[in-house]
Amino acid sequence: MSVIPREEWDKYPDIEITLNVNGKDYKVKVKPYERLLDVLRYKLGFTGVKEGCGRGECGACVVLMDGKLVPSCLVLAVRANGSKVLTVEGLAPEGKLHAIQKALLDTYAVQCGFCFPGVILAIKALLDRNPNPTDEEIKDALSGQLCRCGSYLRFIKAVKLAAQYIREGKEYFDESGARG
Amino acid sequence: MVICIPRFNVYIPKDVSDALNALSQRKDLIPMGGGSDLLVLIRNGIVKADTVLDLWPLRKELAYIKREDGTVRIGALTTVSELCESDLIKDVRYAGLADVCKKFSTPFIRNIATVGGNVGAAHPLSDIALMLLVLNGKVKLLSKNGEREVNIAKFFKGKRRTVRNHDEIIAEVSFTETPHNSSTAFIKFDRRWGHAMGYVLVGAYMQLRDNIIEDVRIAFDSTGNPYPERVWTTEEFLKGKEFSDELIKQALNNVLPKEMKRITDYRASAEYRLDLSKVLLRRALLKIKSRIEGGG
Repeated sequence: MSVIPREEWDKYPDIEITLNVNGKDYKVKVKPYERLLDVLRYKLGFTGVKEGCGRGECGACVVLMDGKLVPSCLVLAVRANGSKVLTVEGLAPEGKLHAIQKALLDTYAVQCGFCFPGVILAIKALLDRNPNPTDEEIKDALSGQLCRCGSYLRFIKAVKLAAQYIREGKEYFDESGARG
Repeated sequence: MVICIPRFNVYIPKDVSDALNALSQRKDLIPMGGGSDLLVLIRNGIVKADTVLDLWPLRKELAYIKREDGTVRIGALTTVSELCESDLIKDVRYAGLADVCKKFSTPFIRNIATVGGNVGAAHPLSDIALMLLVLNGKVKLLSKNGEREVNIAKFFKGKRRTVRNHDEIIAEVSFTETPHNSSTAFIKFDRRWGHAMGYVLVGAYMQLRDNIIEDVRIAFDSTGNPYPERVWTTEEFLKGKEFSDELIKQALNNVLPKEMKRITDYRASAEYRLDLSKVLLRRALLKIKSRIEGGG
């Protein structure tokens, strides 16, 4: 990591932005070039936001910003000013699992798990607008989420299971009851 | 903590006139729409940015889809997902735009990528620019000194180069509503679904009356130059003739190869691309025919 000369550091002013992350308001000083990813991960400590490729290809860094799935590596922090962000940490209350997480565990889709924060949020974005998706719709919705372990077919099973859980009104599960 | 990413400043304009003022005064501003292209270019060191002009705050003025007086107007900062959820693409005449939506990158990129950005990026694989070419679209450029409209066929100058001057922003793309006996189609061929770039992209517009081709416009991702272009000679050959397998075969074998030069790169060879162009154009025209006849 190179050392930045003082005068160059001063060239870029600190900008104060407000963010609502997982229901809690934060005021944070950011540099203009910083991405939402940097702020969430390194300044606010939401390490569920993963940096994969850093160029919008892998889908590991996606978050829900104002209800829309966006790659946080391609959204400047200053642009996210004033918006509501949901990361995987905010999906279920402390000690609980969301139906999507439970379904992924139940279908044994988890291998290394690096892509999971992105996959879970992509599934959430899909189920929020379409509670009963077809195989084709699931494939399209998850087309940007790269999983190098190759759990893709289990994702499809998991989405259907999660949709079933949510339809049955079972949105949260106890963490202790989870298989995995 | 120091994060090692390229450093630049961001200018956040209050409204359109503020953005245009800033552009006319400062030569170092680079306008950015969604950022899905520019931020990657900056990260890869291809574009050296000192200050980026973030156009996102102008979305309150420049994000819309309007259909009035026989013209469809799409604000440059309309995101691709807004276009894909609009009623416009449900119209069978613009089914080609619905084809674009199905294969446009990935859902999360569609949420930030903008229509104006897709046109302004001037990349050969700009899906929306390709569809605008076959819809005979226009690009509206705004500057401090006024506005001008450029036909999209004259908008591109080279790879990532357009006729847009430094002090201008793309404000709107528009096209005239097409007649009811017409439709469009778009085909992108790639091995994968998400993030598909396409070995070959083809967009086509056709107007049929009693099986006679009244008007036809065809565009490919590249016909020799590194930007999307129409195949004028093939269009002229098809115009006014009766739609038949024999006619299309002639156009594909005798006319199209003469005006199309393809390149070989790590993704596909020139021969394969040319062959694929023929196959996809045939499929696109048949698709349009069935759409006009109500087959979907």
